[in-house]
Amino acid sequence: MKYFFRPGRCALLALLLPLAATAASPTLTVYTYDSFTSDWGPGPQVKRAFESECNCQLELVGLEDGVSMLNRLRLEGSNSRADLLLGIDTNLTAEARATGLFEAHGLESVETELPQAWQDDLFLPYDYGYFAFVYNRERLPNPPASLRQLVEDDDGPTLLLQDPRTSTPGLGLLLWVKKVYGDEAADAWSRLSKRIVTVSKGWSEAYGLFLKNEADMVLSYTTSPAYHMIAEKDKRFAAARFSEGHYQQIEVAGMLRSSQQKALARRFLEFMLDESFQRIIPTTNWMYPAALPASELPPEFSELIDPSPALLFDDDRVAEKRKQWVDEWLEVMSR
Amino acid sequence: MNSRALPAILVLAALALIVVAPLVSLIRLGSLPGYAPGDLEFWRSAYIRRVLGFSLWQALLSTLCSVLPAILVARAFALQPGFPARALILRLFALPLVVPAVVAVMGVVSVYGSDGWLPLGRSLYGLGGILLAHVFFNLPLAVRLLLPHWQAIPERHWQLAAQLGMNGWQRFRQLEWPALREGLPGVLLLVFMLCLTSFAVVLTLGGGPRSTTLEVAIYQSLRFDFEPVRAVVLALLQLTLCMLVAGLALRLQRMPEVEIAVDTAPSNFAAKRQPLQLILILGASLFVAMPLISILIDSLNGPWAGVFVNTALWRAVGNSLLIGVSAALVAVTAGWFLLHYSASLAVQGRSTRARLIEMAGSIVYVVPPLVVGTGLFVLLSPHVDVFDWVFALVITVNALMGLPFVMRALGPAMRQNHAAYDHLCQSLALTGWNRFRYLEWPLLRRPLGLASALVAALAMGDLGVIALFGTPDKATLTLLIYQQLGAYLIAEATVTALFLLILCLGLFWALETLIGGRRHA
Repeated sequence: MKYFFRPGRCALLALLLPLAATAASPTLTVYTYDSFTSDWGPGPQVKRAFESECNCQLELVGLEDGVSMLNRLRLEGSNSRADLLLGIDTNLTAEARATGLFEAHGLESVETELPQAWQDDLFLPYDYGYFAFVYNRERLPNPPASLRQLVEDDDGPTLLLQDPRTSTPGLGLLLWVKKVYGDEAADAWSRLSKRIVTVSKGWSEAYGLFLKNEADMVLSYTTSPAYHMIAEKDKRFAAARFSEGHYQQIEVAGMLRSSQQKALARRFLEFMLDESFQRIIPTTNWMYPAALPASELPPEFSELIDPSPALLFDDDRVAEKRKQWVDEWLEVMSR
Repeated sequence: MNSRALPAILVLAALALIVVAPLVSLIRLGSLPGYAPGDLEFWRSAYIRRVLGFSLWQALLSTLCSVLPAILVARAFALQPGFPARALILRLFALPLVVPAVVAVMGVVSVYGSDGWLPLGRSLYGLGGILLAHVFFNLPLAVRLLLPHWQAIPERHWQLAAQLGMNGWQRFRQLEWPALREGLPGVLLLVFMLCLTSFAVVLTLGGGPRSTTLEVAIYQSLRFDFEPVRAVVLALLQLTLCMLVAGLALRLQRMPEVEIAVDTAPSNFAAKRQPLQLILILGASLFVAMPLISILIDSLNGPWAGVFVNTALWRAVGNSLLIGVSAALVAVTAGWFLLHYSASLAVQGRSTRARLIEMAGSIVYVVPPLVVGTGLFVLLSPHVDVFDWVFALVITVNALMGLPFVMRALGPAMRQNHAAYDHLCQSLALTGWNRFRYLEWPLLRRPLGLASALVAALAMGDLGVIALFGTPDKATLTLLIYQQLGAYLIAEATVTALFLLILCLGLFWALETLIGGRRHA
């Protein structure tokens, strides 16, 4: 017995066992956010659909959000166990590119339903959405028709927002105001601040407070009312259409240079733009699928507002200016 | 080295390792892909000054608003042992500790929001809302930690006070205050730390970025800006701050001049029904219960069946219980050895060293779990597969956060035990296991039960650490609640939250009864 447990042998066994496992059916590891992997998210259905055709195991690892995924990769570097990263948005792609950890997806022509042509050699979009202020029709019969009207009407609706330092929609609104107001963004925030009930850490707190009627409007997505219509058969909620257009969020995935499963990772990226994946998105992630024609969406999606024109900063510009703009926001809001 | 010092020194070494090693590993992160070190001048900037000022101010106010009323309420509970449902109320007082921040915010808003029972309107958002939520979290905790001090007053003293015809104030001044003084500074320190590091509650009820605490700035540095060095500098700033406050608090801590009481019953001498005390008990119970009741009411119409058939729920229950009970076990064991050594040093008159040891165990709460967790990850990930170690890491970090609770719940009783029996034990040569078996277990099992129940509740309510490591299939109940809230499933989340509360109440009861014994509170 003593002989059997010699360290050399154990090491050999330890080396061989995982190899044996991978030979049978390879595992593809995807880092994503945990609302993607939760029982209500797209994760379980995506796993079933992909595994039924890939002869592999799909391991979805849920991290807190896009920022923590990227930080995790930075810490792990080329030793990461991840083959793919799914769930950062275009506000982070420039930073993700700068890490040098990602590999070109190599797909020739990418056909999407996005309002803009997709040209990115590293990242591929799987869904997108637009930020919007959601309100209850019964409590707010006349919502503002533009961002300017929302900001400049001092008797306008009260608001629940999220903090750009801790939340994706929070950062989205910061960029939205910047897009519309440019150098006068600080004045706009200063004007708006009197009607902001609170600025929460994440989307959940603000949306929860909104459903408890703590304010007239909450910062969310144009697709939020679809949830209430489809899952709760409730038509009271709507997103206000703003004439300047709505700030866009595009969620993307990319494969890692250090992956040992590159062929499989590419296959997943192709699968991600296939109909079977794309059909899962609308009623699990409550976003617009990136490559599914509008006619294929659930009928309730046609009742949502038209958010055009889509507003979006270049990812390089966000990476360059984000810190400065957040500091400016902090300065105004802390007065 | 004597037999008491060795385990305590091992615990101290482990503490130092778990706190210092991650900080060092974060500082050493110099050359990461896509990472440029930020300016360290940051911590002298106006932003940090403002954040520091606000953190301290709200923590100080919250502490006073929580602990001062808690003294009155604990006294009322002590003097009214026959109050109906007293044991149940006291157990309910442990629940706020387990309530996840976002659920507590919803509960507070259900009560004091614009559609609530006692609407406060917009004034809920600001310092008022922060104080309200912090008192909800900490008043009941302080009551639980202060109450045992009344029970430590010997029966003879109550008799004497009655014979001398002391009035309530005289009795408080001569009898109760000296007993209370021993634990009060420690409780103040613990509540101060809990309020100082409060994050989501402060941001959400504080009305916006004006209400930014140091903890938010640390989170921002490590997450949003990804500047680990700055995060460590800020964490050290927070730690230093708390060491100063702890030094002050523990200096104020005096050994009481009352002797140890094995069996006490203030009941017979003070059980007069005093209307003011009844009002205090009722008022405090209502204040703590209202947000919890609002969660109960919200969940009654919830989709119970849907939530309970979900296998994810039961997996999460298992994970939460595992983490809660293990963290309690680790924290109580570590705390026991630290306190044992510290108390015996105090009896020998080496009070400075005794205080330092207690301080080490008391202030680890303010080392942000995000920083420790990230540091541990950096440290371990090149050598092991972190996914296999998630539970061990989560339990370790939660035990670390729970240690200060053990120091508070068990410390006073341990010191009294040593003061009263060290000489006797020496003359009887009663040491080690025998001392534990015949002397310490019977006398200290009640505070031990409270300490383990508090740590278990704290660990079960924790979100940060498990979300940080991210794992397939290892969700806890708290994480499940956040996932449901993030997926519009607010009704489901409320049901899950109520279930977490009931589970926690059950675990609290079980730990207090199994460890603490049948006679209680």
